[in-house]
Amino acid sequence: MVSNDVVIAVKGLNKWYADFQALKEIDLDVMKGEQIVICGPSGSGKSTLIRCINRLESFQEGSIRVEGVADQNDLLTLRRTVGMVFQQFNLFPHLTVLRNCTLALTRARGLEKAAAEDVALSLLDRVRIREQALKYPGQLSGGQQQRVAIARALCMSPKAMLFDEPTSSLDPEMIKEVLDVMADLASDGMTMICVTHEMGFARRVADRVIFMDQGRIVEAAKPDIFFEAPRNARTRAFLHQIL
Amino acid sequence: MAFDLPFLLQILKAIFQAMPLTLAIALVSCAGAFLLGFAFEILRRVNRPLGLLMRLIIDFIRSTPLLVQIYFFYYVLPYYGVVLPGVVVGGMALSIYYSGYLAEVFKAGIDTIPAGQSEAALALGLAPMDVTFRVIAPQMLRNIAAPMGNYFVSILKSTPYLAVIGVAEMMGMTLEIASSTFRYAEPMLLLGIVFFILAATMAWCVRRLEVRLMQSSKR
Ligand SMILES: Nc1ncnc2c1ncn2[C@@H]1O[C@H](COP(=O)(O)OP(=O)(O)OP(=O)(O)O)[C@@H](O)[C@H]1O
Ligand SMILES: [Mg+2]
Repeated sequence: MVSNDVVIAVKGLNKWYADFQALKEIDLDVMKGEQIVICGPSGSGKSTLIRCINRLESFQEGSIRVEGVADQNDLLTLRRTVGMVFQQFNLFPHLTVLRNCTLALTRARGLEKAAAEDVALSLLDRVRIREQALKYPGQLSGGQQQRVAIARALCMSPKAMLFDEPTSSLDPEMIKEVLDVMADLASDGMTMICVTHEMGFARRVADRVIFMDQGRIVEAAKPDIFFEAPRNARTRAFLHQIL
Repeated sequence: MAFDLPFLLQILKAIFQAMPLTLAIALVSCAGAFLLGFAFEILRRVNRPLGLLMRLIIDFIRSTPLLVQIYFFYYVLPYYGVVLPGVVVGGMALSIYYSGYLAEVFKAGIDTIPAGQSEAALALGLAPMDVTFRVIAPQMLRNIAAPMGNYFVSILKSTPYLAVIGVAEMMGMTLEIASSTFRYAEPMLLLGIVFFILAATMAWCVRRLEVRLMQSSKR
């Protein structure tokens, strides 16, 4: 499934917050259809890295190309090309589930209301929550909200999806329903980068697992190698801690 | 203060005649202050230099007396060839004066919205205008309906200041009767009661609006 087309190309990325360097010399090519899991200790720069990809964060050195769309110039196109799912869901509380999903379709894609609702309903269906379409986010459970957030991002037909710890603020019994949706997406060939500490998911779904520490990519390997025979001592220590 | 029905009716008539203009000025000023205050607050967030400039403007507006601003526009603009009727100057002065206060209210209303809201909107590829008007503004309104309503009531209660530049609002008209008859008690008492009723009605409308906004998202 993984092809040779590069969807996201990160080269020589360096990022500072004031004089604190959060990312150091990051190189990463994500292939079409590839699923990458990023893990690492708190503060290692995982969020910063994926937020740089859709420019929620700016950076000082290096380049990031998404589907060949080069740097800064066309932010809107870039952001419509990659979807993002946040730890806190960030659904719009004043809009219904359906409107959450259609907002960008009507405002950014220029679709008519009816056409946008068709798209939205089919994606809500895909995350198995279509029957909640007319509720407000506050009326849903965390797991349901996160699935809506995934559907909302999918509405824009992104070429890649970024997930930043999508299950970290969920109650344990809801984690599975979200991971299942993500695994479905992966098996449909969605290109994705997922920051998560769900190592079972990484083993099952990832083509590559990346370990970050202190702003660097320390290790990147196929899951079986990553989990069975990590080369780096820090990776081993980290895995020892969380597994 | 003997009971003098014809006199009371004469006063009431004057007040009611001036009421449409007074309400019109108040409503237009509410809208003006709302739009201007919102523009100030949005511009304040664009970047640092603009932010500092807006901060300065907002603070300046808020720390000069309303009466000074009214006189300033009324007597200084004609000096530059801009001659406007008192009604227009009055609406302008009220809009500008209260825009400073509303900008502060909007700031508080926006500050309580989690950063994730605009991040999620931006991540979807929404244009900054849509992020502002479709995602941030509605949530802000929900947060600030009550304090904003209080300022709207204040705007209504500030219309008497416009008497000083000859606007035929309720205060000026009442004052005319009072000074021509040298009887101040009844006119001012009645005017107070009328203002009370208007302000209470307005506050009630604002509360209704607040409830509606709250209901629309159950959270
Ligand atoms: N806005 C910011 N200003 C200053 N420093 C920041 C900012 N955001 C992040 N940092 C710092 O950059 C480093 C990387 O942060 P980042 O959020 O990317 O870590 P993370 O790997 O996602 O951690 P976590 O697992 O806790 O989410 C941390 O040391 C953090 O304190
Ligand atoms: Mg993080």
